[in-house]
Amino acid sequence: MVSSHRIPAKWQEQTSAIVSGFLGEWLHQRQNPMAFSMDLRFQDEVLDIANPSFDAARPTLVVLVHGLTELETVFDYPERPGENYATELAVQLDATPLSLRYNSGRSISSNGAAFDQLLAELVAHWPVPVERLILIGHSMGGLVTRSACYQASRQPSPSPWLCKLESCVYIGSPHEGSWLARAAHKSADVLGKAPRDYVRAIADFLNVRSPGIHDLTEGNIHPDHEALQQPPLVEGVRHYAVAGLLASQSSHPVSRLFGDALVQESSATGSRQTEWKLTATAVFPRIDHIRLSHHPLVYRQLKEWLV
Amino acid sequence: MNKPQTQDNRQWWLGFFDFAFEGTAVVATRLEQVHLSIADETFDVLARVPITNTVSEPVRELHHGISRLSYRTVASAARLLNRVGQHAR
Repeated sequence: MVSSHRIPAKWQEQTSAIVSGFLGEWLHQRQNPMAFSMDLRFQDEVLDIANPSFDAARPTLVVLVHGLTELETVFDYPERPGENYATELAVQLDATPLSLRYNSGRSISSNGAAFDQLLAELVAHWPVPVERLILIGHSMGGLVTRSACYQASRQPSPSPWLCKLESCVYIGSPHEGSWLARAAHKSADVLGKAPRDYVRAIADFLNVRSPGIHDLTEGNIHPDHEALQQPPLVEGVRHYAVAGLLASQSSHPVSRLFGDALVQESSATGSRQTEWKLTATAVFPRIDHIRLSHHPLVYRQLKEWLV
Repeated sequence: MNKPQTQDNRQWWLGFFDFAFEGTAVVATRLEQVHLSIADETFDVLARVPITNTVSEPVRELHHGISRLSYRTVASAARLLNRVGQHAR
């Protein structure tokens, strides 16, 4: 159901998403209406989690989670608005495709905790018993997904949605941080120590980064990240990682330095996490970070893994 | 039944004005510091040159005074407009 007020246009929502990515926590603290509250959507409509009754309810749910400064529309194929990995997989799996919208400037652990709660409510109130849950996160969305799983598993009685979770797919997610976030962090540190005020102003500008962007420096998904480093993957769930490359080969200097433009292959596949047991990984040459979220070749891989 | 949209257009614009006015005030304040800091580099050089050192200090004070007045007027006006906007919220 849509309110009688005129809703913001797409460009306004896109503006909110970009501003929220950089200043999301500040907007949240000021209760600024530009800040998104976390919600789940079905075909552009916000779900009333407490009463999500509609004909499309199926026992399998496929949930898309967007990344920093993005909206759920990042997953839409450019020529086919409204069609994405979830809608295509839903046809194959007889599932309901959903997408998450959230304030990507807030810390990943805050969004992870909120996502955990939202999924618990969704599974509790879904019109038919949920049998299978598939989460697909792009970029920061993969880290929010991991954070939700980790926080759900650490509770004294694990969240009921966790036992329904079958697969998690991390598409271009910086599990070990993004080179760009690290570069901004180091530049701000160096410039902030300069003796001249006008040089320190550049550091101030770089420091206008939301907690969400700070978390991307090392891929932090939990408040105790310094003690924990990368938490383990939740057991009993299939975990898949997808990486993109700017060049045609992993060994190409451009791919080594920049990965898919924002996330290097090693970070997207968690190569330093020796205790992680990923079910499978896939690397896509010549597909950049954004195109990973809506590329037919990536869909073909998802279909192979999930269907 | 699904929920009504949580955001309406009027609320969005009020939020945008809050962001724009508060942003203008913060940027004007920081820009004042940067402007004066860059200007001090020049005035410091002029103060060491025998021909200009007698006038450099009065000119620096005049320049800094006008600059402060300009930036602070912009910052104050932006904060005032934001307060008006917040009442509307």
